Amino acid sequence: MDDHPCKHGDGCTCHSGVSRRGFLGSITTAAAGIAASGTLTAAPAPPPEKAQPDEPVKLQLSVNGRTHKVLVEPRWTLLYVLRDQLGLTGTKPGCERGECGACTVLIDGVARYSCLTLALEAKGKEVTTIEGLMKGEELGATQRAFVEEDGYQCGYCTPGQVMAAEGLLRVNPRPSMEEIRHGMSGNLCRCGAYVHIFKSVEKAAVLSASEKR
Amino acid sequence: MLPNFAYVRPSTLVDAVKELAKPGAAAHAGGTDLIGCLRDGVFDTKSVVSLTALKELHGVSATPDGGLRIGALTTLAEIARHPEIAKLYPALAQGAASAASPQLRNQGTLGGNICQRPRCWYFRGDFDCARKNGEFCYAENGENRYHAIFGGETCHIVHPSDTAPALVALEAVATVAGPNGKRKVPLGKFFVLPAVDHKRENVLAKGEILTEVVLPKAPEGARGGYRKMRVRGVWDFALAGLAYSVVVKGGKVERARLVLSGVAPIPWRVAEAEKVLTGKALDAATVKAAVEAAVAGAKPLAENAYKIDLVRAVVEEVLTAIPK
Amino acid sequence: MVELYWLQGAVPETTKPSPEMPPWKETAVVGKRVPRVDGYDRVSGSAVYPRDILLPDMLHAAILRCPHAHAKVKKIDVSAAEKMPGVRAILTAQSPGADIPWFPRRDKPSTSIFDQHLRCEGDEVAAVAADTLLQAQDALKAIKVQYEELPFVLSVEEALKEGAPVLHEGGNRVAPPAVYERGDLKKGLSEADAVVERTYTTACEIHVPMEVHGSVAKWDGNRLTVWDSTQGVFAVHETVAEALKIPMANVRVIGHYMGGGFGSKLECGKYTIIAALLAKVTARPVKLFLTREETFTMTGNRPPNKMSVRLGAKKDGTLTAIEFLSTGTGGAYPASATTSFMATDLYLCPNVKSSDENVFTNAGRARPFRAPGFPQCAWALEQAMDELAARLGMDPVELRLKNIPKTSQRRGNQPYTSTGLADCLREGAKAFGWNEARARKKPDGPVKKGFGVAASLWGYAGGPPSTVIVKLFSDGSVNLNMGAADIGTGTKTFMSMIVSEELGVPLEKIQIEHADTGTTQYTAPSGGSKTVPSDGPAARAAAWEVKKKLLALAAEEMKLPVEELMLSGAEIVSTKDSTKKLAVKAVKGLERQQVLVGVGTRGPNPEGKIVTPFAVHFAEVEVDERTGEVRVTRLVAAQDSGRPMNRLTYDCQVFGGLVMGIGLARTEERVLDRQTGKMVNANWHDYKIPTALDVPVDQKVVAVDPGDTECNATGAKGIGEPATIATAAAIANAVADAVGVRVVDSPITPIRMSQLFRERQKKG
Repeated sequence: MDDHPCKHGDGCTCHSGVSRRGFLGSITTAAAGIAASGTLTAAPAPPPEKAQPDEPVKLQLSVNGRTHKVLVEPRWTLLYVLRDQLGLTGTKPGCERGECGACTVLIDGVARYSCLTLALEAKGKEVTTIEGLMKGEELGATQRAFVEEDGYQCGYCTPGQVMAAEGLLRVNPRPSMEEIRHGMSGNLCRCGAYVHIFKSVEKAAVLSASEKR
Repeated sequence: MLPNFAYVRPSTLVDAVKELAKPGAAAHAGGTDLIGCLRDGVFDTKSVVSLTALKELHGVSATPDGGLRIGALTTLAEIARHPEIAKLYPALAQGAASAASPQLRNQGTLGGNICQRPRCWYFRGDFDCARKNGEFCYAENGENRYHAIFGGETCHIVHPSDTAPALVALEAVATVAGPNGKRKVPLGKFFVLPAVDHKRENVLAKGEILTEVVLPKAPEGARGGYRKMRVRGVWDFALAGLAYSVVVKGGKVERARLVLSGVAPIPWRVAEAEKVLTGKALDAATVKAAVEAAVAGAKPLAENAYKIDLVRAVVEEVLTAIPK
Repeated sequence: MVELYWLQGAVPETTKPSPEMPPWKETAVVGKRVPRVDGYDRVSGSAVYPRDILLPDMLHAAILRCPHAHAKVKKIDVSAAEKMPGVRAILTAQSPGADIPWFPRRDKPSTSIFDQHLRCEGDEVAAVAADTLLQAQDALKAIKVQYEELPFVLSVEEALKEGAPVLHEGGNRVAPPAVYERGDLKKGLSEADAVVERTYTTACEIHVPMEVHGSVAKWDGNRLTVWDSTQGVFAVHETVAEALKIPMANVRVIGHYMGGGFGSKLECGKYTIIAALLAKVTARPVKLFLTREETFTMTGNRPPNKMSVRLGAKKDGTLTAIEFLSTGTGGAYPASATTSFMATDLYLCPNVKSSDENVFTNAGRARPFRAPGFPQCAWALEQAMDELAARLGMDPVELRLKNIPKTSQRRGNQPYTSTGLADCLREGAKAFGWNEARARKKPDGPVKKGFGVAASLWGYAGGPPSTVIVKLFSDGSVNLNMGAADIGTGTKTFMSMIVSEELGVPLEKIQIEHADTGTTQYTAPSGGSKTVPSDGPAARAAAWEVKKKLLALAAEEMKLPVEELMLSGAEIVSTKDSTKKLAVKAVKGLERQQVLVGVGTRGPNPEGKIVTPFAVHFAEVEVDERTGEVRVTRLVAAQDSGRPMNRLTYDCQVFGGLVMGIGLARTEERVLDRQTGKMVNANWHDYKIPTALDVPVDQKVVAVDPGDTECNATGAKGIGEPATIATAAAIANAVADAVGVRVVDSPITPIRMSQLFRERQKKG
């Protein structure tokens, strides 16, 4: 694959043949082609996905079961897109450097920091935020547990705590107290409500189990 | 404050190498270290080359000679809970499990953990230090409690990885893909001391990618593990730590690999201590001799002599706990 | 009065105090374990924090800050930045209207918003508003500033040296040392059978609440609305009006939710003023939130302190002398760094001397931090008490029990309305298993267990002014209108519980309007544990007044004397004949008026008496003698904060206080680079606050309620600060018990322990 000369100058990674605006959409089909053919080497290699600085590109983002078509810049984090583009402000920025956990979301069911995830990296994945745990206007089991056990104070880290708990319980539905402490150790709570957070996760396991029954 | 950058996600290794060879390109695996570095302005980046679409960099599989191949994009969480790794290479499993936080382990990769940039607060902070473009190492006469007691010289960083010491102890070999094809580099030779080049931490050349790590067959009866000491209970880098793999047969140490974390710019193998142990019974005298050998040559800075004590303590603790 | 927060001295009451309300006896709602009334909002993501606000056409702003510890701006060039994409406005000291004195509410505003003399890393140099935050931050990098770097001072000692760089006119002393004396210290020391003496230090701690500091500002003509992450909308209200020289009536500050403050959000920040200025020049709403890194240097701290303590006692433990000499630095601008108060008041002692010295240094300015000065004092005083107990061969709990005062010696010997100090010691010791623990045999292994205790008091328990309005709707549901912010302490919930207690209205039928200067009434910022004891009584008074009005209407309609009636749930019932009753909804007078309004104000504190909360904390630790690793394995907090309002959130606050104490004891420490004066650990990796794995699961709260009927109409004395004062000292005492090493400098890291073990070895 050749780079073709363009007006962007040295270091530019513009790719020939595919318009910048269209490439992410086209990649989706190409990627599906790979999956169908079974092996990577057997299929013709799809061209790299590319996006230029400051140039928004199309991204299809699946959040809480809904597909959003958004224009994003390469440096936009998933956290930024969720909050400032989609208005899902339940997910909180705390440090924006992976040091507090307030921005925890589930990506394909796994708890991760949305501040350290480029929005473009979330393509093709299912993102679940605190809003996605709701059952209509009703709280989900993990959310309810945090209310009942008072697993918070100021509540700012809470969406992240709840998502971390949700991520933990999806891997380990009946965690021991030690497993809860370790599972919740990627979320700071400056109010220091940890004891109640631990109890909330214990309660969430019970509530989730009874909900599934 | 993320600066502007272009984003490229190649789907083949060939393309990835090509993109990474361009000026100002930086590799993105899990992104946990890269995005922090970009936010802190540690280095300039024109383009972020995401490796996440490279399928061949994922996964754990057995090698024909009884070892294990771990793709560089395997997450730390996957390594920490992998039953084979936990059983045969506990030092690696424990190293992965002790790194960062649960979410970071879900996202951070083995390759990224090995290749992450140092956490020195001068390097990460608003200081023009020697490892960036500056003239000198601020840690030398500054706030150096977390810095190196071995191998410092022109720069006193410590290597931040918790998995790399285990990989060195386990004699793992890295596969590196680059513009000139693939090459194999033993982990023991992967890292670079400041005396050699204080602007980089490893042997990767421009355009090169660490694609996998291959662990040789685990020696029979090996005892291994990783013991890490830190200020906080989690989400903290090592003040000092020890990755080890020791085989005791017939009451004598047949083979010992001891690699320290948190004390040197690279995972610090204490070969002298290994020598002291080999062929001996693990009695108190031998342990004491090994402890002394482990700290021989340490050159503490003004605030980090305590690391010598931590190394003594951890070597003694670990060796004493190994069944004779 | 202790020098605390922004409230100094007496304050006028808003209106005349409400009529006497008898103290509660048995309560139906108050004191129970009640989940928060706004829990749904907090766990669903629907709560809108100031950081979450998105307004149409809103711009985003960022601040350019000084990268040096001490410098002057020589030249500033914004021409390149102005041309950057999305940039709408740039403010510097030269911008029209930007020359605003800071702080406007201080007697001597010696500096300004963009002062050209930059006294610490982080001082404001310029600000940019742009279409997106990233564009604003890009533009900051394009502003060219020429600085003249100046020599700097970081420590008290350096600052007081002759020829030291001077931060402010008049020298580096903030004020002359504040000295307090009673009795004769020398005599007290000479009478003592045992004297202990030692110098302690505490590291500088940063508040770092989870939500960073910031505001959204929006002008509608000459009227300004500010959404601020704050502990007190009214404090921000006053400062904004004064700084911008507009009537308070033209400023509305809203602070419905806020993500933690711990004292760092009691005051208005420069960022609020800057957001308002940028909004004015661009005629668009502006959102300005700090970065996490900025919160480490520019939003306050618990100042570092050095405290020399000397204690003398008789053989039987009776204290004869206390000397407590403290120095500290509140940083580059005026801020309190005093610590001595508790040392002069906690224990009965006739001969006491204390002094507090505070100097300017080129570091971030301090702000009140949860019980300002008190945890530092406890760290020194309570470790000294422990050492004294050992010297006397006395149990540490016994030594403290021997010296319990009934009066506040520091405050004119006035009696306390209640003192649960002795009960906290006794009941806490029982719940902890203190005697059994201390009597144990120490095991041989390298990991040693230890047990420690520390006592404390807090120097403030609320007071006027506070006005709360309660409205009863015609269907019997209620609107509760209060100025207080709910900073995570459960204010909305306990205030609703108080109203529910008086009016029998279920919590789900209480609507809350709060923390909005446009629609609610003045109260001081939520800090210093004042919200329960200040605003709680006002809420009760408001509900009481509504009840009185309702009963009067009912009495007329039921043709019964009003004294005979009581409100029971949704009914008004005769106390003489329970068959005579009237549903609240059926009161015709209420239906006619549609609403009954009760205005409650906080009356004065009892004259001639002192209201004070007490607490005693117990800690169990494990110390690895080889590595110096310390684990806190168990904590018990015995608290006398009077009557708990909501036992669920009361416990939660105590747990939070304990965790913050663990931070002081074990992990937290600002590190300034000696070469440049810059903070090297301005992030959450290097500045380490406790995680889930640094706190014990086994934490217990013992609520000691002395049944205080005098303190105020709720019987509550406040829990926020007393929950954290003694913790770190108890942990340090437990470490000393475990390994026989006294850690005088916080925090107790493996680094510190290794060094202490090494010194011990040297000494043999």
